[in-house]
Amino acid sequence: MARILLRLNESLVSEPVVSEVILENKVLVAILAAHINSKGGEIVLEVQDDEVDIIVSAFRQKGATVTVPKLIEVDNNRCFSCGSCVALCPVEAISVTEDLSIQFNKEKCVGSVCNICVDACPVRAINSIRYSNTENMHNNNSSNRHREK
Amino acid sequence: MSKRDQKTRTIEEINQKIIKGDAQVLTAEEMKKLVESSGVEVAFKEVDVVTTGTFGAMCSSGAVINLGHSDPPIKIQRAWLNDVEVCHPGAAVDLFIGATNSCEKKPFEYGGGHVIQELVAGNEVELRATAYGSDCYPRAAVKTTITKDDLNQFYLLNFRNCYQRYSCAINCSDETIYTYMNKLLPRMRNATFSGAGELNPLMNDPNYETIGFGTKIFLGGGQGYIIGEGTQHSPQNLNGTLMVKGDAKKMSPEFLQGAAFTRYGTSLYIGLGIPIPILNEGLVRKTAIRDTEIFTDVIDYSVMRRDRPKLCQVSYAELKSGAITVNNKRVRVSSLSSLKMAKKVAQTLKNWIDDGQFTLTAPIERLPLDTVFKPMRQTQEIPFVSNVMHPAITCMENEEIRAIAERIVTKSVNHIVVIDSYSKLLGIVTSWDITRAMAEGKKALADIVSRKVITANPDEPLESASKRMAQHNISALPVVDSEHKVLGIVTSEDVSKLLGR
Repeated sequence: MARILLRLNESLVSEPVVSEVILENKVLVAILAAHINSKGGEIVLEVQDDEVDIIVSAFRQKGATVTVPKLIEVDNNRCFSCGSCVALCPVEAISVTEDLSIQFNKEKCVGSVCNICVDACPVRAINSIRYSNTENMHNNNSSNRHREK
Repeated sequence: MSKRDQKTRTIEEINQKIIKGDAQVLTAEEMKKLVESSGVEVAFKEVDVVTTGTFGAMCSSGAVINLGHSDPPIKIQRAWLNDVEVCHPGAAVDLFIGATNSCEKKPFEYGGGHVIQELVAGNEVELRATAYGSDCYPRAAVKTTITKDDLNQFYLLNFRNCYQRYSCAINCSDETIYTYMNKLLPRMRNATFSGAGELNPLMNDPNYETIGFGTKIFLGGGQGYIIGEGTQHSPQNLNGTLMVKGDAKKMSPEFLQGAAFTRYGTSLYIGLGIPIPILNEGLVRKTAIRDTEIFTDVIDYSVMRRDRPKLCQVSYAELKSGAITVNNKRVRVSSLSSLKMAKKVAQTLKNWIDDGQFTLTAPIERLPLDTVFKPMRQTQEIPFVSNVMHPAITCMENEEIRAIAERIVTKSVNHIVVIDSYSKLLGIVTSWDITRAMAEGKKALADIVSRKVITANPDEPLESASKRMAQHNISALPVVDSEHKVLGIVTSEDVSKLLGR
């Protein structure tokens, strides 16, 4: 599974863009997070690995900006496991292990669209790096495919 | 009586065992398990010392440093370490680094706590100081770098540490708030708590039988002493605190960490552990206390008053489980202090005693059991929303825009509060909304009502309501009670009238 971040501008928010892409391409997407108002919005989608290219280009044709959200990075040297971040996480990606350490589940984390935990870390051990571009992802994907061949 | 049946033991006896390497030391966690499985009598026979620990943000912390004299000498008036102003210099070259003092260039992000951590870690810190100059101290300014090795004295000196327990913080308002209890999401979407519960030193000796003036403790990875009760010590409701001091040159940056709380400020996390000598069976029972027996209040931190509403009581067992129930709602809760580090403090102290490096001291005086934490005497009152609010001009949702326009004119107001038949807030319309609706030919009020309304609480200081108006660029706040029933309205005019008085 791969995650992509859609950004919709003011004129796109009133269009059923996600439904159109799903119906026209017969693809499966899961909406992990969405922040939308009349001025625009951001949606995080989880999509199947082999459908990433189709979905990314379909959304781009509709006028959406598509990027790959960068996941949260935790500096384990700084973190002393206070736990401030745990209850803040809306998708329960942060948990306390048996030895009372803090564990980040990168699979569950929705990344930089959320960022709710970042400014709550008293030792600033949680960082979110800005979005990388999908161009990189395309390259990575295609190079993977080459290798598979 | 044979030694085997002895019902008490002394600190001297325990110290002799420690020196010989015979003392039985358990961490508080291990002690509780032993008492549960084998009972009080067995635990008394087997255990000499129980080690406790806590690792939390302790804002009333700081360090005293003595720089030595410059040439020519200076009597410092103002001083900064890594751009953090250090407070109240004593004579000449003594400084106090307050953990909560913020760096002028990076306010809220870097502060006194970080400076203390850097010094403890052996890093160089930049000193700037200014003075008025006198015949005996002629120098007016100095700039240099220092490390802990350059200092004559470097003492951690904390006015109030080791809170016996602390309240659990929650936010019932509609907006995220940033507090010393960290980030609190709106509408009770999270809660935070602090303290180690059953591992906390004072909780394991709640009437301070063995913990007092002169007790030697684990402090910041080194050794320190209790030098009295902490400020705001409130023993009668299990909110005891300690004042402590220790040689910071021998401390470790692992157990002393600078911290930053967004939009609150900086602080210092400190590892503090106290060995409790098991002198009698009563102390066995005390050190057997469990999280299920330690309760604290859940407090609504969105109320900007000294006495904030208590919503319910929860145990530390519930708090540590990750979720509590408040007003029938499940709320996820997380710790601010590190329980993992608290355990490490207790374990490290245990290792020190096992190795014969750390012996116990008997307190030379007990901590007071009767002090009361009084509020501030205030000779000037500040205005609250309830002092200036006035009745709101209201309307129902099904009214026509024209009728509301008339009301705006006759009542000479700019804001009409839309309510339902139970007086509950539905929305707000302004004279501007009405003007625009008339221009656009709209008739139905429902089309133009602003439904996301920023409100005020009658008990909040007028200053905070006024700040909120400025923040949202609005000129009035409906005043509502906890059930969203409209009590009145407060406008920016009310605020300016009061200021002009």
